[in-house]
Amino acid sequence: MILPLVAIVVFAVLLAFSLIRMIEVDTDIRVDAERNMLWVMHQSESAARRLVEATLRAELGEADASEIALRLDLLRSRFALLGDGPQQRFITDIGLAPQMADLRVALQALRPPPEDFTTAEVQQLRLAMAPFAAFFSRAANKTMIREWDDLGGRLETSREQLHQIIVSLLGIMLTGGVLTITLFLALRHSRRSNDMLRRERDFSALLISSSGEGIMAVDDAGTCTIWNPAMAAMTGRTAQQAIGRKMSEIAGFFDITAMRRAVAASLDGKDSNLALQPYFRDAEEPPLHVDLKVSPMRDHGRVIGAIVFMHDASDRYAAREKEAESRARLEQLVAERTRELDDALTRERSAADLYRNFAGMISHQFRTPLAVADSALQRLIRRGPRADAAEIIERATGARNAIAGLTRLVESTLDAARLQAGQVGARRAPCDLIALLDMVGARQRAASPGARIKLRRADAVDAAALCDPAHAEQVMENLLSNAVKYADPDTPITVRLHNDDRSVLCDFSNTGPAIDEADRERVFESGFRGANSASTPGTGVGLFIARSLARMQGGEVSLLPGGAGTTFRLALPRLAGAAR
Amino acid sequence: MRLSAAIGLLCLSLWVPCVTAAGSAPVLQVTGQIADGPAVFDMPQLRDLPRATLETSTVVTDGAHRFTGFLMRDFLAQLGAEGQMVTATALNDYAVDIPLSDFDRFDVIVAYSMDGAALDRADKGPLWIVYPRDAHAELQDIRYDYRWVWQLSQIDVR
Repeated sequence: MILPLVAIVVFAVLLAFSLIRMIEVDTDIRVDAERNMLWVMHQSESAARRLVEATLRAELGEADASEIALRLDLLRSRFALLGDGPQQRFITDIGLAPQMADLRVALQALRPPPEDFTTAEVQQLRLAMAPFAAFFSRAANKTMIREWDDLGGRLETSREQLHQIIVSLLGIMLTGGVLTITLFLALRHSRRSNDMLRRERDFSALLISSSGEGIMAVDDAGTCTIWNPAMAAMTGRTAQQAIGRKMSEIAGFFDITAMRRAVAASLDGKDSNLALQPYFRDAEEPPLHVDLKVSPMRDHGRVIGAIVFMHDASDRYAAREKEAESRARLEQLVAERTRELDDALTRERSAADLYRNFAGMISHQFRTPLAVADSALQRLIRRGPRADAAEIIERATGARNAIAGLTRLVESTLDAARLQAGQVGARRAPCDLIALLDMVGARQRAASPGARIKLRRADAVDAAALCDPAHAEQVMENLLSNAVKYADPDTPITVRLHNDDRSVLCDFSNTGPAIDEADRERVFESGFRGANSASTPGTGVGLFIARSLARMQGGEVSLLPGGAGTTFRLALPRLAGAAR
Repeated sequence: MRLSAAIGLLCLSLWVPCVTAAGSAPVLQVTGQIADGPAVFDMPQLRDLPRATLETSTVVTDGAHRFTGFLMRDFLAQLGAEGQMVTATALNDYAVDIPLSDFDRFDVIVAYSMDGAALDRADKGPLWIVYPRDAHAELQDIRYDYRWVWQLSQIDVR
């Protein structure tokens, strides 16, 4: 590295030196007219000799005064010339200035002869002229020697300068050669480096294009610079559509907040990972789910952009979804089973409660039918022979109906076979509550002729329940007789039959005295009698029995909140709801 | 008397018409390819020509001088000169060939005074061909320097 620098410095120095030397030679080569002094001396000598010649011819009568005057003027002009700056300096230089001055004084003293001159006058002039030609001859001689000395000296100087220039040029050639070789080597090295770089670049390009992962690069302005085939396959955008555009313009996906944040973070030098991001290629198709890794791209430690690796993780997403779905189904199944078990437990408990209070139930449920049957039979006895056939049939049928209800209750409750098998729960069967309610209503009207009982049905009610008809009958009877018993005199008792999704509902409403808030839940306890029932005969087990029987069938009896009067609701599972 | 007789004799012998007015001495003779030659001029005639002035240094003096005279180009044009070359001859028989193109390319004058003083025959007068040496670098060359003819007496157009 030091050699080329030295070569360049030497090259420049030698070049400058040669240039300076050449300029000097150029200046020296110019020949000034003042160097032409030999010609001046010759002309001066010639002028002097021609003046002498003119005087000689005048002596012979061949020339007149004007010619002598002309020749004299011409000689004077030579002295004028030699007296001027450059010539004067040369004369001084060759050491002839004193003689020159003497001759000038002598010349100025001379006057041209008059027109009618005498031979003697002209002869005198000629004699006075004698030293002039000799002086100029000697001056020419000295001039020649001086000029040759000068020329020789200048030639020698020039030769020396040329020699130096030649040596410098050799040096320039040498350093030029060194520089040429260095340049050639540098070029070859550069070409090799370029080849290597190109191969590496090609290899990188091959890696990127054959990668199964989508690879995208963006510069620090967010413009896409790399977009490999895997990326194109995943997104449905070709490289031509992507490269050179802003990320946000390529697809809406790259403009979501998470993506923008990840790219901004990588431009700050941080890696980011985004898992299972939905990528919608088409509004109608389900999205791809992709994992993304966004990393900074560095050049000599400086972040120049971000590189995004996109991996199609749709399979993993599907597996995860499936797993979540099956877990949800399992949870639902467990919940259902738990509910079923809870229901079964409730029924069992209710049955157990009922059997534990069996004596109470018998005495409560049997009292009214027995009283009905007894009174019917007493009347028949009292009427004796007065009773006609129709009356006998009517009263006997009343007694039989009461007894039949009891029989059904006993059959259902005390099924010896089921008791033996330990199944104390209800026997459940499809049952039309409309018919059942009609029967209970009719019986209640017979027992309490003064009561105004209204039976209502919602439009399109589905009254098909899954229950034990004998038990349902008992529950309805208890609730209806309660409603009648606690109603204000001469107010209607309304029974309304309707249904919701799961249950058939039967609401028994009256406008009797309200039940105390504190007693609302306790009314269903065995043996409890509320504050408002003090004046009414009862054992305090009717509601307990009703609820227990309802629960044994998966149903419920509840006291509806609020409103004027009191409403008890019987809910029994719908046949349709249970089947579903 | 002897001088005028001699000039008259000279004019006659060269078949030159003596055009000098008032009998003053002729200083310049123009011969060769001119319209009505040969022609002879004395100083008053030359001084009547359109005047030209230039300032330049010379190789035989120190410093710059102001020369007054007339343009050679206009002078030759007035005489109807046709040719390629003139031969300028001095009183001491110094002769130089000058291409006519010099006078077209440069404002060459024939000077009769320097720094306001008339040129004398005992110096470089009465006429001196002066080139505008300082105005043109190419004129600073010995091949032009020898064309500065002083004591000019004759111009022969060829």
